[in-house]
Amino acid sequence: MIDKEILYEEILPQVSQPVRYAGNELNSVRRNASEAEASIMLAFPDVYEVGMSYIGFKILYEIVNSRPEFVAERAFAPWPDMEALMRLYNLPLYGLETYASARSFDVIGFTLQYELTYTNVLAMLELAGVPLRADARTNNDPIVIAGGPCASNPEPIAAFFDLVVVGDGEEVIMEIMSEVARKKREGAERSDIVDSLSEISGVYCPRQKNPVRRRVVTDLDEAEFPRKFVVPFLEAVHDRVALEVMRGCTRGCRFCQAGMIYRPVRERGLHNLCSLADDLVKSTGYDEISLLSLSSADYTQVTELSRRLVEEHAKRGVAVSLPSLRVDSFSLELAKELEKSRRTGLTFAPEAGTQRMRDVINKGVTEEDLMSAAGDAFESGWDLVKLYFMIGLPHETDEDLDGIADLSRRVLELGRSTARKRGKAGRVRVNVSVSSFVPKPHTPFQWYGQNLREELTRKQNYLKERMRMRGLSVSFHDVEASFLEAAFARGGRELAPAIERAMALGCRFDGWSDRFRADLWKQAFSEVGVDPSKWANASYSFDQQLPWDHVDMGVSKDFLRREAERAAKAELTPDCRAGVCTGCGACTDGARTRLAGKAWR
Amino acid sequence: MVLRVRIVKGEEARFVSHLGFMRAFERAMRRAEIPVAYSEGYHPLPKFSFATALGVGVTSEAEYADIQIDPGGPQISVEEALDALDTKMPPGLAVVEACSYWGKPSLASRVEYASYRTSACPELKDAASVFMGLDTSTGTITTKSGQKEIDIRKLVREISVSDSDALEFVCACGGRAHLRPENLLAHLYSIAGADPNGKRFRIHRTGLFFVENGDLVSPMAYKCKDLVIAKGWKPKELS
Repeated sequence: MIDKEILYEEILPQVSQPVRYAGNELNSVRRNASEAEASIMLAFPDVYEVGMSYIGFKILYEIVNSRPEFVAERAFAPWPDMEALMRLYNLPLYGLETYASARSFDVIGFTLQYELTYTNVLAMLELAGVPLRADARTNNDPIVIAGGPCASNPEPIAAFFDLVVVGDGEEVIMEIMSEVARKKREGAERSDIVDSLSEISGVYCPRQKNPVRRRVVTDLDEAEFPRKFVVPFLEAVHDRVALEVMRGCTRGCRFCQAGMIYRPVRERGLHNLCSLADDLVKSTGYDEISLLSLSSADYTQVTELSRRLVEEHAKRGVAVSLPSLRVDSFSLELAKELEKSRRTGLTFAPEAGTQRMRDVINKGVTEEDLMSAAGDAFESGWDLVKLYFMIGLPHETDEDLDGIADLSRRVLELGRSTARKRGKAGRVRVNVSVSSFVPKPHTPFQWYGQNLREELTRKQNYLKERMRMRGLSVSFHDVEASFLEAAFARGGRELAPAIERAMALGCRFDGWSDRFRADLWKQAFSEVGVDPSKWANASYSFDQQLPWDHVDMGVSKDFLRREAERAAKAELTPDCRAGVCTGCGACTDGARTRLAGKAWR
Repeated sequence: MVLRVRIVKGEEARFVSHLGFMRAFERAMRRAEIPVAYSEGYHPLPKFSFATALGVGVTSEAEYADIQIDPGGPQISVEEALDALDTKMPPGLAVVEACSYWGKPSLASRVEYASYRTSACPELKDAASVFMGLDTSTGTITTKSGQKEIDIRKLVREISVSDSDALEFVCACGGRAHLRPENLLAHLYSIAGADPNGKRFRIHRTGLFFVENGDLVSPMAYKCKDLVIAKGWKPKELS
């Protein structure tokens, strides 16, 4: 247990947003970890408000704590002011529930949502007093495990983890906790426990470099989903009832890692969702229910679900929202349902500016889809439409950039002419967010190197010049940050020393544009003699061994290659939900596409 | 009906900001299914308001809120509302008194004074009596817009020192005139010629007051009926 007196009287009065570090939230589970048969610190390598927004984190917390014999506490990356004071006062990383120090847990489990959190992982381990490298840990150290989408290429951070969990976490986390408890009862040594955990399906042991196949939950209605969330005092980025309506997406966008690694589509049943929403609203008091998934408008019964939720909850001032909409599944009917409760800005993601490019990436939407969806949105009274695009995609030409500018302008003009009828033309705004393509493992574009940074900068400037217009605002992702993300997404074990060095030099919160230090990263790479462009920019050949080849995420390499070849020809591959199997290989281990209210297919 | 409640913000919720406190309270009302009235229009919001903000790090046993009850909603008694709300409050927050309020002015517009108690600071004992003996005493305070020189003495109604050397004081609070307790303590340190650096004092708000005919009155004593006090609640001593 850390010294609470020091924390409350000395440290917290001095930091920004002290409530991040105090815990005590509604529905947090405060039990003594040392009395548990097995305990885990769920560590999120970003700031509290970000970590508290992830549904996977909430699911794991609830699953573990629903068992009286196990304990899970949370820890987030301390903001630099807090980190400095923790170091000054020798206060170790601690769990927010009972202020138990990180080292007192059997397991520290990191959620890796994003490559640019890796320096935070190391900073948290250092604050925990746990050796950064797995091979330096000894019997009294906690077992350090990673999970989350970045685990699909664990190699750049492999040296720091005893084990890595690949795929859906609901089942495997209980298997891990039970096995830890069993081994502890036997009085096993730490190394023995690690060995035995590495035999669990879906668990990868970097030391052994064993081939690993991702875990998949076959039926989400059978899987546990929280009926209460920890409710932060501090406003989280997503501070609402997040209802995961389905997992997986088979639209098949060729750049999208989530659309590949979470296959197949598994929908939760309507009744289950209504009951979960009911309990969650009652237990949290949130004023918003958000239908969460990779593409919630594709949920088979989305209109019916929205209607029922609005009917039940709108009278208590609770709104229902969709985080993002596909232009081809947006319907006026659905918009109207949601409008009844409350209006938020609408976001559409055409991703590319020309039809050819949208076919290359298999986005499958047309300009008419977008214009009609945007038209419906403006028609129903929305003034703000957000558009997402990507630049630097494979096979991109400057014509595709022109397309982004043209399309954005046309959406704005459409909005103006629609709103003019209400005399509100001046209020219409289109916010365009342009990110740089980051090639990700386990996607058809995994073989393609990222555009050179100079090229991405040129493309950003090219767009900027063509998108100066009142009512239109454009924002870009930092090129250096996207470059680093690509290196870590596609890299191998050679990158580990650079992460260690960058952390030592002071890099933290690299995903935050105002904290990102490209200069320190450059220094780190040069000091350890690693060239990140070898991983970020190099194209890999189809026959080449890839750093993540031993991780099987369900979709086969053959399928990905076929998709890459179709992309080169701008050929579409339809969604398998519509009927024809695309042979992606994800329907294994009992997993099948499972749609709400329908029989297994 | 307006339901007026008195809320305790304890140690566990000490670092919650005013905004966080309001959000937590709003959610507790929803969990407790208090039939609160909503504003009309585009973005309906529950109608409730607070007396005044409390600084981050300060505990309190005198936070007050008014909740507009929906006349078309289910009937609820003051006692039921207090029980329901208190059960649904997050750790560190408790509802300890409730009543129905039948006046017009809002809490925020009527609050004029707040009382506080600090942790023991014997070094300020003498400075406190010197300060109270002065007619005016100019000092620096921090406001939202920066630092300002004002007559601090005018904003302080009384100061006393408890047996345990805690300062207890009543100072201006609210829209018309406001003094942050930290500012008074800093001023007393400067009078004492002592260095406050490294000294971490605790501050606890013990009361908020209206002024009626020159006297301090509790918000629960002004045009209120049906006062209910939570079982077992009495004002707490600061450790």
